[in-house]
Amino acid sequence: MEELLNIDNVSKSFPLNDGKTLQVLSDVNLRILNIPEKPQILSILGPSGGGKTTLLRILAGLDKPDSGRVIIKDGSMREVKIGDIGVVFQRYPLFDDQTVLNNLVEPAKNGGLSAQEAKAKALKYLEEFELVRQADSYPMQLSGGQRQRVAIAQQLIQERRYVILDEPFSGLDPNNIQKVINLLTHTAEQHTDNTFIIVTHDVTSAMIISDHVHLLGKPNDTEEKGGAYFVKEYDMIAEGLAYQPDIEDLPRFLEIKKEIKYVHFPRLVIARN
Amino acid sequence: MVTQVEKNNQSASRQNIFSETFRFCGEPARFMRANLFVIWIVILFLFWMFTPIQGIPYPSEVLAAFQRMFASEANDTSNLVYNTWTTLKLNIVGLFFASVVSLLIAYFSVLPILQPLNQILQWFRYLPIVAFNLVFLSIFTIGWSMKVAMLSTGMAFFLITSMTAEIAQIPKLKYELARVLNYGDFKVFWTVVLRPTLPAMIDIVAQSAAMGWVMIVAIETFNRTEGGIGAAIYSYSSTNQKAEVYVYLIIIGIIAILEDQFFYWLKRILFPYTTISERA
Repeated sequence: MEELLNIDNVSKSFPLNDGKTLQVLSDVNLRILNIPEKPQILSILGPSGGGKTTLLRILAGLDKPDSGRVIIKDGSMREVKIGDIGVVFQRYPLFDDQTVLNNLVEPAKNGGLSAQEAKAKALKYLEEFELVRQADSYPMQLSGGQRQRVAIAQQLIQERRYVILDEPFSGLDPNNIQKVINLLTHTAEQHTDNTFIIVTHDVTSAMIISDHVHLLGKPNDTEEKGGAYFVKEYDMIAEGLAYQPDIEDLPRFLEIKKEIKYVHFPRLVIARN
Repeated sequence: MVTQVEKNNQSASRQNIFSETFRFCGEPARFMRANLFVIWIVILFLFWMFTPIQGIPYPSEVLAAFQRMFASEANDTSNLVYNTWTTLKLNIVGLFFASVVSLLIAYFSVLPILQPLNQILQWFRYLPIVAFNLVFLSIFTIGWSMKVAMLSTGMAFFLITSMTAEIAQIPKLKYELARVLNYGDFKVFWTVVLRPTLPAMIDIVAQSAAMGWVMIVAIETFNRTEGGIGAAIYSYSSTNQKAEVYVYLIIIGIIAILEDQFFYWLKRILFPYTTISERA
């Protein structure tokens, strides 16, 4: 059965110190399908200041939109609430006073499993994410890549359909970006019931990894301007000027047919008076 | 986002800051560091022996005073052991009550309704506790219970301030992580607020224990009925018995070092992860 995450006419603004209002999202519409047994990664792509994080927070139920709503269909149609969607935050915060194993056991127990079941499940995830040797380590002892894997496993262990990753490629060099791409692709293949939503400004990585790319424009961008930005970036990538993907991925990358949706180009600052 | 472990690592590495800053000094080996410690003690002792400052008694005078005070009647308020035990007991009991009350008030400050009360109590730390002597006298009978109440209250104002600041430093992202994992209110409180901040609370209590000794002297000066170090220092100072005063100062110093070590040990036993070094 298809699952559905629907963003209907979502708008969000923030008050500024000078009395003006910053309209970050304006009538955003987006439909995200979850088709069981099919690995799915989609990206919400946009430049800094384009409202990606705001949209992420609304999707995750961490913030309420000023208007519009986010609907999730899991049997019945209802508004999304906090905890419906997993979030792998930037910099991968974990519970630092707990071992890696307990960072997975606790969320699993919270999902309704007994202590024994939760531990067994956590160990299974540690094995999948190649973290068995780190089971008794504390987050402080992990590398950035290991932290990221624990953070992803922590969100997957509660078996939610949708998992959002906030800027998973941010601040990484090409080698590490490639590792993250491999990790996410592999994870998506292992967890075909999940849809991974990547929020990023990294055009190249989004193009490589995603089945669908949704473009979120910068304030004051027209659809044409946003499209031009994207096409220009895409051309640069295709010519291998901006970033050279791993040589084995290059043919796949160039052949890939992307479904690009221009989601939204919000207006600039609107004065209150 | 600074975690507790990171803070502990920062604190552990702080001792190396100077050798990192002044690289020409190099990093002293552990054996050398221990030697440096002894060398500084010897220097300070030599300074004490040959100091030209009139107000400081010579070590031989302090030693003689120590023998006199130690040998006096066991229940006499001039007896060293009696006074030290009286004050140490007050310090421990006062610190216990102050810690329990402060922890409760600090942790409950996560409830919006209690935040203003928490803020008001923090402002009280500027007021000298002995100025409220009469207030405490009207509530408690003079003596032990009044001294405990005064000490606990005085320390609590400082403890609440430091503990609340520690809780306020918890990154918002940690709460959000717990929320997206579907944790309920109590579990968020336990996982994000209470459990990770407990090691820091031990550090804060340790710091306040030292501050408590300053308050104790003032409180015992006002309540001299049962003796104690504060009462003894007041009494010896008023009769210009400098050597006796210095005996107690040295004893306070020794107890403070032991208390520091106790809290350090307690933290290591209860929260062993705080000693883990950051991954290279």
